[in-house]
Amino acid sequence: MPPVSAHAGGCQCGAVRFSVTRLGRGSICHCRMCQKAFGGFFGPLVTAHNAVWSRGEPKWFQSSNAARRAFCGDCGTPLAYETRFGLELAIGAFDHPEHAAPEIQVNPHDKLPFFDGLTALPMREETSDEWRDFLAGIHSNQHPDHDTADWPPRGDK
Amino acid sequence: MDRYAMEVSGGCQCGAVRYHATEMFDNSHICHCRMCQKAMGNIFAALVAAPRESITWTRGTPARFRSSEHVDRGFCDKCGTPLFYDNTEGPRVNFTIGSLDHPELFPPHANTGQEGQVPWFETLTIIESGGATETGQEAWASAIKQTNHQHPDHDTSNWP
Repeated sequence: MPPVSAHAGGCQCGAVRFSVTRLGRGSICHCRMCQKAFGGFFGPLVTAHNAVWSRGEPKWFQSSNAARRAFCGDCGTPLAYETRFGLELAIGAFDHPEHAAPEIQVNPHDKLPFFDGLTALPMREETSDEWRDFLAGIHSNQHPDHDTADWPPRGDK
Repeated sequence: MDRYAMEVSGGCQCGAVRYHATEMFDNSHICHCRMCQKAMGNIFAALVAAPRESITWTRGTPARFRSSEHVDRGFCDKCGTPLFYDNTEGPRVNFTIGSLDHPELFPPHANTGQEGQVPWFETLTIIESGGATETGQEAWASAIKQTNHQHPDHDTSNWP
């Protein structure tokens, strides 16, 4: 098991897990390649020193000759971005993404025009019976936000 | 939630999976819930839906992970791009906005799943800007541009 001081994380299904002893600077990258790789508005990445894959191995996509991107082949969670400068891990894949706050944003030329208004959006309250029933019926197949000795759990879940 | 006629295309980074829809819903939103964070490897998911019957998978087939009994998460198993959130019992499929060819056309209108929101979300838009990759790294940026393996932001008759 990794040291308790390590930062850990992994994909949604739990097939791939990582552990890292020291995090560098967190960032969000607005470039179109990060948008596409994450299916989102930006790529949220934090520099990882001494990272190891503690369960399974990710798949890699060579997004250019200069960079490759890791993801879980079983559930698709984007996990990492790697160049000759080192490895960066996807902030949302950490068990505790709140510990990897980005400090800088880069590549503003591709920044989406509505990005600056994101933090002012209203909260949607879903109170219909249909939505309540939907939420009540959810049984998650997501790996928990901590390391596990065996996964998936044996017996009932 | 209203639906309207609109021709949209999108797909994954490598281009193995492409989709097209002829109608969209006006439900563009971001979801902070922990399941969306994990599925996207991100701080939140950005989603907008199309009516299920208006969607055509024009190239390849997405892989699916059943994240709970109700919901499939779609992705490309060649490059990993998260493609959709699909309540399989419902009438619509929510595409990831970043996988659309023109994400700028779908500004989100609301937040959901705020129980999972990262505590520093409010500061996201005001953190320091480090400028473009090009600044001081011209050779690096040029190498990426010239060898970019990402599918372009429009449909293609042949790919790669």
